[in-house]
Amino acid sequence: MDTDTLNTLVTGAIWRAEELESRSIPSTSAWAEVSSLEEDLAKAHPVTEGQGRIARRGAVRAALKSGNYTRAYALADGYLAEANVPESFKIELRTILEEYTQAMASRFQYASKHYSVREAQGWARRLSENGAFNLAA
Amino acid sequence: MLLANAARYLAKLGKGVVALDFDFEAPGLHYKFGAGEYHIALGGAVPYLLATAEGTAFPPPFDDHMISVPVPEGRGWLRLLPAGPAPHQTYWAALKELGDRLRLTDLSGRGFMALLDLQARIEDELKPDYLLIDARTGVTELGGLATSVLADTVVCMLAPNQESLDGTLTVVEALKSTPRLANQRPIRVVPILSRTAGKLSSEGRFAAGIMKLLSFGGRPDLFVLPHDDDIGTFGDEEKASDSSPLYEAYIELFHGLFPAAE
Repeated sequence: MDTDTLNTLVTGAIWRAEELESRSIPSTSAWAEVSSLEEDLAKAHPVTEGQGRIARRGAVRAALKSGNYTRAYALADGYLAEANVPESFKIELRTILEEYTQAMASRFQYASKHYSVREAQGWARRLSENGAFNLAA
Repeated sequence: MLLANAARYLAKLGKGVVALDFDFEAPGLHYKFGAGEYHIALGGAVPYLLATAEGTAFPPPFDDHMISVPVPEGRGWLRLLPAGPAPHQTYWAALKELGDRLRLTDLSGRGFMALLDLQARIEDELKPDYLLIDARTGVTELGGLATSVLADTVVCMLAPNQESLDGTLTVVEALKSTPRLANQRPIRVVPILSRTAGKLSSEGRFAAGIMKLLSFGGRPDLFVLPHDDDIGTFGDEEKASDSSPLYEAYIELFHGLFPAAE
């Protein structure tokens, strides 16, 4: 698919997701579509181009809005590991994830008094990679 | 059964106890507390976690999800958070939905935070002296979390056969090497051999495995719960007579498990 078509599709998908969200209609699948289209655009543009960075940010943000946090973190990991990533863009991506992390801490008020979200994320990653009890490591 | 007996023992000693059924695939702790026929509208850990999976500033009241268990002759209190209204269909539907919505491998850490939030809320609001968690037998994600992250002490029940011992050794070794959260003490592991009949051999592969297991637990001898032929049923509960070897073994075990309770 050419980038003009992708841009048209992503613009329409963002409009639809925002409209649903503003009317309190479930919008997670619409944001998932946005994330997928932004990811395709990111593949078409290198991170050194402005459009490439916008697409990468959009893919991560939309994945978070879709509730697919694992996808958001995986996309961010991939983008941060790319060659020639500007330092300012790395900070932007990390900030997006950090804002999400802080918002989550405020939603889990009891756990946040005793544990940090970062610790929970570390455990989730270990569980994801090593399985229960680290037995698959 | 061990957890239910321990909870009653502690409550009778005047302690505040919360019992939590995290054995979601085989929920039954409520039966051990004589609540096997409670109304299906009553909640439990699964419905509670469904309501709080995304995090919320207004979590549902514990009274909607917990049962207060009477403590005859006791000075303490005992509250049960059952897994949910199992075996009713609504429970299994809720469990399926929870599986879709609360993933412990979610890299955002949300699944872990939801479980830690429940544990922390119990600690902050109810302030029990003891939180006893019934975790799933076997190697499951939730079982791994309940024993390695939520627990200070892990009680491992094993049967007197090589299969059970090998599996227990594998899990205990993994538990002892698992990192803890920043403000947690090293985990304490207490192995218990259950349903034994007759004297155990002190030689051979099984005996060597037991010695290895004891080395992880930091105790020179193994707690043993003997098989009780005379055990009967009373209502929803199994009861050992006060003079049976099983009863005496339970008392010895609880002295060892909860030295600060008396």
